[in-house]
Amino acid sequence: MKFLLTACLATALSWSAVGQPPAKIDVSQFPATMVDDVVVPVPSEIFSVLDKLGSPNWQAQLRQDSSDQLGNRAHIALLLGATVAEGFIAVQAQNPEKVKEIGKNVLKYSEAIGVRDAVIQHSNSIIEAADKRDWNRVRSELDRAQQNVRQAMAELRDEQLAQLVSLGGWLRGTEVLTAIVRDDYSKDGADLLHQPKLVSYFEEQLKNMPPGFARDPVVKKIQTVLSKITPLVSVDTISLESVKEIHGMTAEIIVLIMKP
Amino acid sequence: MKRKLPHPSFLAAFLGVLILTIIPVHAVVDDALSFAYECAAPYVKDNYTVREEAWAGDLGEQEAKAILHQLFKGNDYWFWMGTDVMSAKISVHIYDAEGNLAETDSWQRKNFAAARIKPKKSGSYYVVIKIEDSPTERTHYGLVYGYR
Repeated sequence: MKFLLTACLATALSWSAVGQPPAKIDVSQFPATMVDDVVVPVPSEIFSVLDKLGSPNWQAQLRQDSSDQLGNRAHIALLLGATVAEGFIAVQAQNPEKVKEIGKNVLKYSEAIGVRDAVIQHSNSIIEAADKRDWNRVRSELDRAQQNVRQAMAELRDEQLAQLVSLGGWLRGTEVLTAIVRDDYSKDGADLLHQPKLVSYFEEQLKNMPPGFARDPVVKKIQTVLSKITPLVSVDTISLESVKEIHGMTAEIIVLIMKP
Repeated sequence: MKRKLPHPSFLAAFLGVLILTIIPVHAVVDDALSFAYECAAPYVKDNYTVREEAWAGDLGEQEAKAILHQLFKGNDYWFWMGTDVMSAKISVHIYDAEGNLAETDSWQRKNFAAARIKPKKSGSYYVVIKIEDSPTERTHYGLVYGYR
């Protein structure tokens, strides 16, 4: 399939080696399967824009609770993703104690899901960098930890679980994004929610979950929430009402993830 | 990391050959990715954060591949591509969801190529990579990106 895709693109995108690229291409030449290659952004890509738009109170966005009670593997994967996202919030808040706590939790949840080895080095680095207040390094190590976890899961043929890690991070990131935009609404801030293809991608991933995961009440609830979010983020201007609605739905899910 | 490793059919003939061959194939793909990171290195000094998300694989001459990517207005992105085939010419360009060329800058030098975008709107974009010219049948590439 991928071969056919690239062959098809070769015809669609023929420009000379030395020439300029075409000003317009026919995106209908891209088969729907390209969605496989959707890139899930890390929360800091969005948070960096929020910092440019205003001065969010990141400290107020940090959760005070952490989950000691672990659920099934689907839950832990979602929790792991949400916890890495929490790490990015703690970096924005420049809170070293919270970052260190998150570094330890990332290791704990990774161990519970059988991918401890992929994370231990990064967990230690997160803690060490937080002590030095080296925020750029903490960001890199959080990103690396998440990528390594997903890669380790893929190697264990647990791709679906890897998707849940990304989804958990996206849900927590979106909860915080909507909280900040709700409190200080701007069109540019709300524009950050314009992610229809990403939301559709997550919906598609959940539809293809194995029955064991698909039956999970939290996963089912997320599926319902995503189907409600899709139309809200598919418009040109996302209203304050929509921002509030998305916040309510994502906050509810995060509570379920944090307290299985 | 999303990797598309080559699967040459002739390797299936003998398991021993397969094992001996796969090891250098991995090495070559990693080499291509190393060149992409090398291409990104100078930009880190300009405060670009390089993501861990990376792609590596191989394409034939004049073959292209697109990656659907969510980008955010307010950020400044660079996509860096590298190959271990030193005499190959490669390219990377960025199009919006309607297929319009959306990049603010791009360049191609030696075995490197890069494209920059400051999105006018948050949303999905197509990052299109292509092997323009290469002396080898399949050319390994690596692609990484960063933002600030």
